[in-house]
Amino acid sequence: MKISLNWLKDYITFNTSLDDFVHKLTMAGIEVEAVHDCHGDKVVEVEVTPNRADCLNMIGIAREVSAVLNKVKKMPSIKKLSFPKTKCDVQIVENDKCPRYIGIVIEGVSVKKTPDTILKRIESLGLRSINNVVDITNFSLLENGQPLHAFDYDKLIGGKIVVRFAKKGEKIVTIDGVERELDPSILVIADEKRPVAIAGIMGGQDTEVTSATKNILLESACFDQVLIRRTSRKLALSSDSSYRFERGVDFDGVEYGSRRATDLILQTAGGKMTSYNNLVAKKPRKIQTTVNISLDEINSSLGAKLTTAKCKTILNKLDFKVSSTKGGMFKITPPSFRTDIKASVDIIEEVSRIIGYDNLPMTMPEIKATDITTDNRQVCRKRVAQTMVMQGVSEIITYSMINQVALEKSHQGNLKGIKISNPLTLDQEMMRPTMLPSLLSVVQFNLNKGQKNLRLFEIGKVYTGNKEKDVLAVVMTGDRDKDWRETMLKPLDFFDLKGCLEQVFLKLGNDSVLFEQDAQEYFEDGAAVIKVKSQSIGSIGEVHEDVLDNWGIKQQKVWFAQIDLDALYSGSAFEKRFQPISGYPAVVRDISLAVKNSVSFQQIKDIVYELGGKLLTNISLTEEYIGEKIPEGQRGLVFSLQYQSVERTLTENEVNVVHDRISQALTDRLDAVKR
Amino acid sequence: MSWNFEELQQQAEQESTSISDARALEEFRIKYLGKKGLVAEIYASLPQLSKEEKPAVGKGANDLRNTVSRIIEEKKTAIKQKEKQSSKRFLDVTMPGVALEAGHQHLITQTIEEICGLFERLGFVIQDGPEMETEFNNFSALNIPEDHPSRDGFDTFYLDAQDPTDKTKKLLLRSHTSPGQIRIMKNNKPPLAVIIPGRVYRPDAVDASHSFMFHQIEGLLVDKDVKFSDLKGLLTAFCQRFFGRDIKMRFRPHFFPFTEPSAEVDISWAKGKKDWLEIMGCGMVHPKVFEAAGYPKGKYTGLAFGLGVERIAMLKHGITDIRNFYENDKRFLEQF
Repeated sequence: MKISLNWLKDYITFNTSLDDFVHKLTMAGIEVEAVHDCHGDKVVEVEVTPNRADCLNMIGIAREVSAVLNKVKKMPSIKKLSFPKTKCDVQIVENDKCPRYIGIVIEGVSVKKTPDTILKRIESLGLRSINNVVDITNFSLLENGQPLHAFDYDKLIGGKIVVRFAKKGEKIVTIDGVERELDPSILVIADEKRPVAIAGIMGGQDTEVTSATKNILLESACFDQVLIRRTSRKLALSSDSSYRFERGVDFDGVEYGSRRATDLILQTAGGKMTSYNNLVAKKPRKIQTTVNISLDEINSSLGAKLTTAKCKTILNKLDFKVSSTKGGMFKITPPSFRTDIKASVDIIEEVSRIIGYDNLPMTMPEIKATDITTDNRQVCRKRVAQTMVMQGVSEIITYSMINQVALEKSHQGNLKGIKISNPLTLDQEMMRPTMLPSLLSVVQFNLNKGQKNLRLFEIGKVYTGNKEKDVLAVVMTGDRDKDWRETMLKPLDFFDLKGCLEQVFLKLGNDSVLFEQDAQEYFEDGAAVIKVKSQSIGSIGEVHEDVLDNWGIKQQKVWFAQIDLDALYSGSAFEKRFQPISGYPAVVRDISLAVKNSVSFQQIKDIVYELGGKLLTNISLTEEYIGEKIPEGQRGLVFSLQYQSVERTLTENEVNVVHDRISQALTDRLDAVKR
Repeated sequence: MSWNFEELQQQAEQESTSISDARALEEFRIKYLGKKGLVAEIYASLPQLSKEEKPAVGKGANDLRNTVSRIIEEKKTAIKQKEKQSSKRFLDVTMPGVALEAGHQHLITQTIEEICGLFERLGFVIQDGPEMETEFNNFSALNIPEDHPSRDGFDTFYLDAQDPTDKTKKLLLRSHTSPGQIRIMKNNKPPLAVIIPGRVYRPDAVDASHSFMFHQIEGLLVDKDVKFSDLKGLLTAFCQRFFGRDIKMRFRPHFFPFTEPSAEVDISWAKGKKDWLEIMGCGMVHPKVFEAAGYPKGKYTGLAFGLGVERIAMLKHGITDIRNFYENDKRFLEQF
């Protein structure tokens, strides 16, 4: 909202510097956003918070300034008006939506140029002059915040005002010359036959005041703020009036505004009041109008030492009535336009903001130990992220919203995300049920920019049913780390990604994770499901060529994995127990086998651990061989077994017994051949 | 037989000058010190010499042996040195080192962790809240009226998912992290000192400074006598630690339905008055919020604050387009 400093000085005298004025007003909660020069005047743009509709006018601002600068403000003088007994014809159909309507008919006005004093004022705030009657309604609005509208009384069919909802199919051409279709959710001011204004927003062209107008009906009313807001949004039409009605207009101000404008019209346009109607359709709900608070309460909640006099002065300047009662209590009655003042905290805020927060003391709170500690999930997430970063994988953050097309492109059209009822665009129609599309879009983005070697992860959420869960998603493509000493760069593959995940499991202390062969539409053959205690917690594999094609990813293999972190956390041992370190030598024995492709390394591992007993401490794969020396459909596996005791040096003989038993079992049970 | 020891000494010295490798040195050693070498020969002749001759010849042989031994040691070292020199490869120390490629945490995560870390050291704990929220937690409990504009579809995303606590309502995407306050207070008794970071959503069209998804960090401190002066002290301590001691700060009155008094915190690095940058909203917890959380009337007071992570990261690192955070360009990620 704009305010003019010259205009402001009509109500309050001050000679503070502009900088100081700007600073003090801002620090009282009326934030100054810009200051412009305007023909010797300064126009200040302020942001008024939504709770302070009373400040959307010059008098409201003058009131704030009087409190901040501790100066007396003077209200404009209005001649005492004697309203005629004759009632003009006003009917309110929607009592809830229009609690009050004052209609005043003034006959014999001369519509002409506006006097300079008023013209200067409205033009300084950016309004264009129309004629003296319209300009006065605008002047009065800017001065005291009560929106007004003047109709050409002779154009109102039946000389009548009806406040009702529009009928289906009704139209109106508003004063901006635009024809607007109305519907029954829109409140209108109508005459006997047709809408003549969109209530609280804009008048109609047919009944506007022109140079030919002789008689006018001046409207001063208040309308339901939510209704005005919704209508304004619906019609994409806002005005100085709707701006104020949306934020709430003072019930008592309806009368003040009508008096101020009538007085000015009679003074400058002449004419005579011939009829009048002050209709109250619905009295405002009686809100608590007095607040009791002690000085002690103010001081203890601010941590300050204010005096009774100081508080009282501030509240008085804001037009609050303050009476001190016994025991240091204040009994405070806020003015009618301060509907935001309901309880003692509201009083504390008024006092503190006028003093200025920066002028209040500062202390360090005592922060005690609490019953709750940092959320385990936060701890885990951090640990997972650190483990990924340590391994050279970079974190990304992608939008949680995707669309159905992205799912289809990723061969995941069967997954159901949670639909957004009011999406911003169709690209973001649902909360994602999977991370694959999000990560592929990042791969595509980077490949297009020439970044071909990517190892990325995101810790985010996926959404299904009415639940959200934490997941880890990883994507890898391109070559492994650059090394100029090597002639060839090695492409990343399944085991690079799997290794990364295994490190995460290790860090979380989860040793029960298994990878099982699995097929997915979005993966090539040779993908796996990741399980904890036979429950699936994720999947890993090479993204299907067709999917990559759909995403425009060419000539590059992409590996992807997604893991349900909540499920992983539940199987994890965060408090790690110390494992004794053996002081005795380890014995390492190799086994070399030719096995059928259907035999998995996991099966070998299971047998080794089953028979290895306490002596076996580790198994590690050293080589996989596929080629001429092995029959087709088979592969050669070489792995090392490590035997060690924490109690003594193992003898050759006892190692041999166990090792032979394992070796025998592997060939027998897995139909394998020693090489 | 007689020996001219002086000449022999000179001869040995002379011969040694041409020795350049281990083989020649060995030959030299054998010639003088070998089992059948010159020194052995001289010692072997000693018994046949007269009492008068013996001491001089013995001494001469000893001296010769010592000289040759010294020459051999010196030559050995020299040859070793030479061999080492010749076997040494040329190393260009200016060629690039080889390292495992480092991973990078996203700048948003780094910023969240830095801020959370600061508050953790002050005694706060970090908690989590869901992104899919109830209307009650996101609005009603925070004293946001039924007809408030922020509840409109223009300002909040609503979901096609039923609110489990109220079958007549749909869940929404939290538009701020403040509903986390309600969840914490409903389940825990003061004293409370909690930080809740997370993603929030608002239907804002994407441009350089707007995003429909962004991150916030919420803070809540509740106890028996938390004062407005504590709010100022706590957030001043935070800002000075996070942005540096040199910044200027101000608490500017503002309006939030869930705090009162409410303020926005502005900071400035510059000396000028017009360079204030808004960095967070804060205030004293509104009694209506305590009421919604089920706390007894008037028993507790508290302070709350919320800050936008993207905005702070942009200010701190000179980023001018919020979209950088979500494009995930590798060249962006690797800068931090």
